[in-house]
Amino acid sequence: MKRLKTNRKLIVFLYLLMPAMAFSQDSVEKTPTLNLKYFSSEQNVPYVLVQSRLKVGRKFEPVKGIAVKFYLDSATSSMLMTDKVITDESGEAIAALPPTLKNVWDASDKHKFIAEASGNKDFDGMETDVEINKAKLSLDTATADGTKTVSVTVTQLEKGKWVPVKGVDLKIGIQRMESTLKIGDEDTYTTDSTGEIKAEFKRDSLPGDSKGNLVLVASVEDNDQFGNLKAEKTVPWGAAMNPVSTFNERSLFATRDKTPIWLLLMAFGIIGIVWGTLIYLIIQIFKIRKLGKQVSS
Amino acid sequence: MENSITLTPEKITADLYPKKFGRAGMIWTASLIVICAIGLFAYIRQLNKGLVVTNMRDYVSWGIYISNFVFFVAISLVGSLITAIFRLANVHWSTPLTRIAEIIAVSAIVFAALIIIVDMGRPERFLNLFIYGRLQSPIIWDVVVISTYFFISLLLLYLPLMPDLKILNQDPGKNTRFLNRLYRFGGSFWKGTKDQFKISNRAITTLCIIIIPVAFCIHTVTSWLFATTYRPGWDSTNFGAYFVSGAFLVGAGGVIVAMYVFRRAYHLEKYITDLHFEKMGRIVVMLALLYLYFNVNEYLVPAFKMKKPEAEHLHELFAGAFAPMFWFAILVGMIIPIFILVFKKGRKPLPMFIAGVMIVIGAWFKRYLIVTPTLLHPFLPMHDVPDSYKHYFPSWEEWAIAMGSLAGALLIMTFFVRIYPIIPIHETITEQNETAENK
Repeated sequence: MKRLKTNRKLIVFLYLLMPAMAFSQDSVEKTPTLNLKYFSSEQNVPYVLVQSRLKVGRKFEPVKGIAVKFYLDSATSSMLMTDKVITDESGEAIAALPPTLKNVWDASDKHKFIAEASGNKDFDGMETDVEINKAKLSLDTATADGTKTVSVTVTQLEKGKWVPVKGVDLKIGIQRMESTLKIGDEDTYTTDSTGEIKAEFKRDSLPGDSKGNLVLVASVEDNDQFGNLKAEKTVPWGAAMNPVSTFNERSLFATRDKTPIWLLLMAFGIIGIVWGTLIYLIIQIFKIRKLGKQVSS
Repeated sequence: MENSITLTPEKITADLYPKKFGRAGMIWTASLIVICAIGLFAYIRQLNKGLVVTNMRDYVSWGIYISNFVFFVAISLVGSLITAIFRLANVHWSTPLTRIAEIIAVSAIVFAALIIIVDMGRPERFLNLFIYGRLQSPIIWDVVVISTYFFISLLLLYLPLMPDLKILNQDPGKNTRFLNRLYRFGGSFWKGTKDQFKISNRAITTLCIIIIPVAFCIHTVTSWLFATTYRPGWDSTNFGAYFVSGAFLVGAGGVIVAMYVFRRAYHLEKYITDLHFEKMGRIVVMLALLYLYFNVNEYLVPAFKMKKPEAEHLHELFAGAFAPMFWFAILVGMIIPIFILVFKKGRKPLPMFIAGVMIVIGAWFKRYLIVTPTLLHPFLPMHDVPDSYKHYFPSWEEWAIAMGSLAGALLIMTFFVRIYPIIPIHETITEQNETAENK
């Protein structure tokens, strides 16, 4: 009986504890976030990128498969940029400005992009937007007395005219395989009252392509007013690189038809000597056989 | 033969003439055939269902089959030791052991080749190795060397057998019709003339010279299958010598076991004497110490540096999941036999037999330890793979095929002893005559 009472107490205690346990399991809060970024460069049509992420504790986890609609200026069907772009494994989807909205785009210096999510219970109906001022980067280079200088100008569209912008932070780098390499000592440069910065190129003899070309990249990143801007210019400031490919040469790691000559000679030499000797020995056995038959006859 | 009692040629012939199996022989042969049949059944299952019946997966793609292959290649090396090296060094006491060593070599190399085909999974593609093989690959070198070694071993078995075939052909009434046909086919032309002996002796000497580098190659190239791969436990410049020394040890161990069994089964005490055991015992101690030395090299040097992947591999061997097998292989395969054989009393037939069995069993597990633990420790961590990929223990089919192959090798030896004299009759008579003349 005493044992039964103890068990009952334990059951009641566990019953009371259950909500607390459930609460502790749910206590890791998951907050969906939708982030919109604007990108513009001389090479590309302006486009926007949306990031769908779930904030779990302190971490952001990308959410795949979110359907996103993009609008320009207002969330109406006439201003629809693209219908239902699905986020990829990194939780991202992009939409470029379509030709149908060119007139709307040209009509104003400032625009708003709107992204509307659906297809996931956490993100259903979620909306985000980004407002931008049209701006552009101009990249120029000069060489004087052996000093190579890069100048970048930031201008924004104001009442139909391009005017220089002061106090914009930007980066200047050289495009490498995975990222950009700084051209000098500074991480960022800030434009002066003429909207310009000048930076010295200090990467002499940097490997370039077969003609020694390097691609200079100037970029403004996540600017509140202008979004992401980029300008590129190819300059012959690198060292010409002509990598020697041994792929089609005879080597130990090549295909069977490209066996090194020395290996062929060695291998067939050894095989020839050994099997030549063995064939000689077989002939000797036939000789023994012949001698035996001669004795018999 | 170094016994003090002089035996007549008739007595020697009668003693060494192949004999029918007794009851024990029949049971032994039947047991081997049953094990082989189970192995064959398992192999047919593997052919039907594919290599999925094995427990080899993406990581452990070389399991018990390749361990068995390395074991067979190792034990086959003994042919060159006993026959070629001793013959060239003019060591006469080894005469009764030469054929034992050669038949061990031939049967082992046959099953080394077969087990590789078993491991291939698709045997009909075997020819592709020759048609499309890359000469740059150590696998092709191994294929070439194994074929060559098999052929040389076969010749080295056959050429010294020819004078004995003449003896076997002398009294057809003693033999069955099948055996008479076999003996006539193999040696009816051998008349024992001076010229025939001259050619035969020259051929045997040539074979003895040529088999030594080929034998070293066969095991060195087998070691390169591992050493040319950048993996913990295999990435070693020591591997060729390490494998060759291990091969000599297991081969010598195998010869001791065979010496004891044949001596007991066929009452060959006058031919395989205590002196043979005494001398083989000394050789085995030397070979075991040599192999132990290479083992110390193989484990101490990486253990001193303790590079991370090597450290994980060594920890698994020394104190991890493979530790019982590892210490078993080291103790039973090397250290205990050394302690047995280093004493004179230990070099008597029975203790020698026990030591020989220990060496052979230890050697088999040693090959397993060379192959498997390394494959379970890749440089990149195992991520997002089924649990079965992270462990390896052979399936019953793998065990059955591996044991079937071992039984098959023993079966070849068993049938050989039934058909041909396991101790060369003619050479024994000749040596005895020479010894008598010298006295």
